[in-house]
Amino acid sequence: MAFTINRRTFIQGAAIAGASAGLPLRARAASALTMQAAWINDAEFSGYFLAMDKGYYSDEGLELTYLSGGPDVIPESTIIAGRADLALTTPDTTIRAISEQGAKFKIIGAQYQKNPIGIVSLKKNPVNTPADLVGKTVAVPPVNTVTVEALLSLNGIDRNAVNIVPYAYDPTPLVRGEIDASLDFTTNVPYTIGLLGEEAQSFLLYDHGVTLFNDTVVVTEETLASRRADLVAWLRASRRGWDENLADPSLYPPQWEDSWFKGTGRSIDNEVFFNTAQKDLIVSGGGIFSMSEEAIEKNLAALQAVGINGTREMFDTTLLEEV
Amino acid sequence: MANRAGFLRSGTFRNLAILILVWEVVGRVDWIAGGALPGLSEILIRLWADRGDYPGHVWATVQASVLGFVIGNLVAVGAGILFVLFPTLLRLTRGFNIAVFALPPIAIAPILVLTLSGMAPRITLAALGVYFVTMSATVVGLSQFDTRAADVVRAYGGKDWMVMKLVRLRGAVPDILSGLRIAAPNAVLGAILAEFGGGGRWGLGTYLLGSLGRGDPARLWGIGLVATLIAGLSYLVFAVISARTLGSSRSVTLNTAIPDADDGAERSLPLRLAVIAGAALLPFFLWWAFIKLTGVPDLIAKTPLGVLDYLFLSDTSHIARAKLLAALAETLPITAIGMLAGLGFAFLLAISARMFPGFIKTFMPIALVTQTMPLVALTPLLVLILGRGTSVTLWITISVTFFPAFVLLVQGIQRVPQSVLDLPRAYGASAWTELRMVSIPAALPYLFAATRLTVPRALLGVMIAEWLATGTGLGNLLNQSRGYLDYGMIWTVAAVSVCLSVAFYYAILLIERRTLTRLGMQWVE
Repeated sequence: MAFTINRRTFIQGAAIAGASAGLPLRARAASALTMQAAWINDAEFSGYFLAMDKGYYSDEGLELTYLSGGPDVIPESTIIAGRADLALTTPDTTIRAISEQGAKFKIIGAQYQKNPIGIVSLKKNPVNTPADLVGKTVAVPPVNTVTVEALLSLNGIDRNAVNIVPYAYDPTPLVRGEIDASLDFTTNVPYTIGLLGEEAQSFLLYDHGVTLFNDTVVVTEETLASRRADLVAWLRASRRGWDENLADPSLYPPQWEDSWFKGTGRSIDNEVFFNTAQKDLIVSGGGIFSMSEEAIEKNLAALQAVGINGTREMFDTTLLEEV
Repeated sequence: MANRAGFLRSGTFRNLAILILVWEVVGRVDWIAGGALPGLSEILIRLWADRGDYPGHVWATVQASVLGFVIGNLVAVGAGILFVLFPTLLRLTRGFNIAVFALPPIAIAPILVLTLSGMAPRITLAALGVYFVTMSATVVGLSQFDTRAADVVRAYGGKDWMVMKLVRLRGAVPDILSGLRIAAPNAVLGAILAEFGGGGRWGLGTYLLGSLGRGDPARLWGIGLVATLIAGLSYLVFAVISARTLGSSRSVTLNTAIPDADDGAERSLPLRLAVIAGAALLPFFLWWAFIKLTGVPDLIAKTPLGVLDYLFLSDTSHIARAKLLAALAETLPITAIGMLAGLGFAFLLAISARMFPGFIKTFMPIALVTQTMPLVALTPLLVLILGRGTSVTLWITISVTFFPAFVLLVQGIQRVPQSVLDLPRAYGASAWTELRMVSIPAALPYLFAATRLTVPRALLGVMIAEWLATGTGLGNLLNQSRGYLDYGMIWTVAAVSVCLSVAFYYAILLIERRTLTRLGMQWVE
């Protein structure tokens, strides 16, 4: 984990540095780019793992550093602080930050055309529509409360009619019946629920008015201006990775058992399930990351309904056109 | 060999065996919330199946905890010595010291993750977790020395430094060691909490996060046990060293000299006021300096002025204030109750430790487990057992507060000189009478010190419960604010919770000084 230098590696390093100093500069040195992912390593980021393994970023002249995420990592903050050049974010948070706090972000692509977040319940006690939530207890990660409030408001449901409690990413309370439903990735948690001997029932928030992207690719305006070519290169390489990964969603996750997925605490079968389930939410007629005018309008309309004022200018589709 | 046979026949071993057996049976028949507590064998089987995953995670956690532990303790012992040599410095930094201790880790973890890179957030959180405990223990140890020994050194022409070297540092060793003992689990927990949130690739916290989604209690308990093992081993090392050195520095006879009055009285009023003002302002200055030094943009990092602006001067200030007050109204009452409960529990245990040493030997391993089981792993399971009401909040609060208070109290009771104990015994007093008339009054300074130690932890416990179980109060507000990218509120909650802890701390300090002065007792820093 730590980067240690002993005498031998130091001498080797110095020798290499000395040798390379005498060489002419390469025509195009790889430029370093850092991306901040939204969560720990799982199938949600398969496209990037594949593109890194197969050298698609280096083909484009990029030297990519990949930072995994976690509950305390707010991807937007990482790019504001200058610790990453590009981040995968939730669009409602990003657009709220632009419109209310004047953050200088641009959305240059969207991994999920349809947000995989949904309301997950058990088949024996199903929650099929937002209206079914009335009188129920639903567990929501505190950071996502705003999204559920959007769902309720868009469907004309009184916020006080639903008992919202914190969700700690553990499906056990749902399976045990302590809660009636939870907000989670519909591509992920139904697998575990199945293993625990129950059948999951879920609906996407997307299908009930919350027509949002997810894992939107966000950069600061400054990065966009200064590193445009690198960003286009990143989009191109990542798209290649995603296309290849989704061609057969069950092919790659098992190959990463001892690399990207080693010791994550999750099972490979779970990742295959995830990768398969997310395919339809990612693939788009306009190519991976596509943001069609219609889709952008839908995003803005959904946000408008919950009082977040986004504009078309917050999205920059010109990089995708170059890809 | 005889030793080992003695252990096998001892009550401790028998009690522990019974405990494990009960755990196994209860776990196997899924008595507790339909299997939220698996049997020990189920946990061990899972642990064996996962054995390939652990080395990388354990190594990362150990690295971060050890680095944080070493750095935090070096600073703490150094600061403790300085504070004793220059008491004004202690007064000047008191606000800062309490602030460091009262920082809610769940609030600063994201801030550290933002402002520092790689392993640094983990190491910092581990170091912050040990600093206050060790610093206090060092000051306590250095302050409570046998003045007769110091007189001997002075009579031979020794200066303050010689007294420090020959009497006070030696006398402080048991206290510092007991500080290190409590600090060790804190370092591990700090590192794991930063790993949990910070998005690294390795570490038990990361493993825990990935494992939460599996709905497999045996895995979660397994991770908890491994964390406990790491913390327990470090605790054990210092406990053994401590047991070997304790006897050598204790006075054989009782020192009847009345402690000197605080030297603060003879200094001028303006100077004292200046020190008080400095103590109040220093934490805010350091907060400001930290933000300026890390160079994090204003949008994310709020300075003290930024928080004032957010709360009182901006267009949305009234909304922010309303949210904050509503949250405080939910958090404060339960914190007060939780603190009393934790303290009461610690007190009862400390007395039991005196009355029934065997019971406490059995209980200690369980107590340690509750200190090192990462609460993020257990809260979903606790919710199944206790629901999402007051009881789960109280349970979590007691579990995070009682341990340090307990260790301090036991220490206070143990330090009662043998000669004082001999008196009631000579008169044939029962153990209870002896406890009531001698040990408990003698431990009073330690009870006050324990109370001061408990306040910030009670607030932390309540906030964890609010964050993961009840969805109310400051803990929930803090985490919801992250979803809104409401950095102003994140900093406000952290600042307000620290200020509250400091205020409580001073309130108790005031009562303590009055009471102990009246009783003619020395207080414990």
